[in-house]
Amino acid sequence: MIASPQTTAPAAGSPPVSPEAGLTYRPNVDIADCGDSLVLIADIPGSSAEAIDVRFEDGVLSIDAAVLPRPAAGTTVRREYGIGGYRRSFQLGDGFDGGQIEAGYQHGVLTVRIPRLAAVQPRTIPVKAS
Amino acid sequence: MQLLRVGYAHPLEDLRDEMDRLWNSLTTAPPLHGWTQQATKETFPAINLFETEEAVFVEAELPGIESETLEITAVGDELTLKGRRQEPAVLPASASADDASKLTWHRRERGAGEFSRRLSLPALIDAEGVEARLTAGVLTISCPKAASCRPRKVMVTTG
Repeated sequence: MIASPQTTAPAAGSPPVSPEAGLTYRPNVDIADCGDSLVLIADIPGSSAEAIDVRFEDGVLSIDAAVLPRPAAGTTVRREYGIGGYRRSFQLGDGFDGGQIEAGYQHGVLTVRIPRLAAVQPRTIPVKAS
Repeated sequence: MQLLRVGYAHPLEDLRDEMDRLWNSLTTAPPLHGWTQQATKETFPAINLFETEEAVFVEAELPGIESETLEITAVGDELTLKGRRQEPAVLPASASADDASKLTWHRRERGAGEFSRRLSLPALIDAEGVEARLTAGVLTISCPKAASCRPRKVMVTTG
């Protein structure tokens, strides 16, 4: 369940710029494989920890984030990006421990660590001389 | 008899141009928020610009950038944003070189490194009064307009 965006008090005399209804963007991500876990890093500026929903179900990791209304004022002179929520999902397959997933949000970046199940972690088997 | 003017655009040429535009828009689809492989350091960050009678507001999305690494300079009607985004740290600080060698990347879409962007504002600004705030990766800069650029009510005298 996505928490509804908190309402922040707009700056004096300026109406808040609400996220545009129905607009959802695909966040840019980095995905690293650390052997015992996968680390996913996603750019989700303007959100908050409470407004981000990370879910792992049937081998699919999905991210769903709402952005908070931003105080802004005046007429738009230039517009190079839109404001809306973020959504993206990844097919990870089996072998991950859904119960141990950790997620953190800092400086507009979401980091999710998905540990592999111990049974499927790569293991080096020593070869004994007979 | 209908004559073709120089530069006359044949409908099929228009169609071809339109198809080219459509194709280009599909193949170079802009991931809106950002730092993409196509984005150069001159076009990052993307900005939105607002204006009132009193001030100009600049908003930019800078996820993963700390306020200490950001440098904002204001002169006349120009604003320069400079900064650096660190490579993501995915391994704990205690990780050994052996752990680091096992690290592989499946996707690198975010990019890292230095950027610098110079913006022309729609009015001269009072550099002393510029204020910037970075919250959850969203930078908001408010630039009060210079007195000479603010609207002034002119009194009409009779006589």
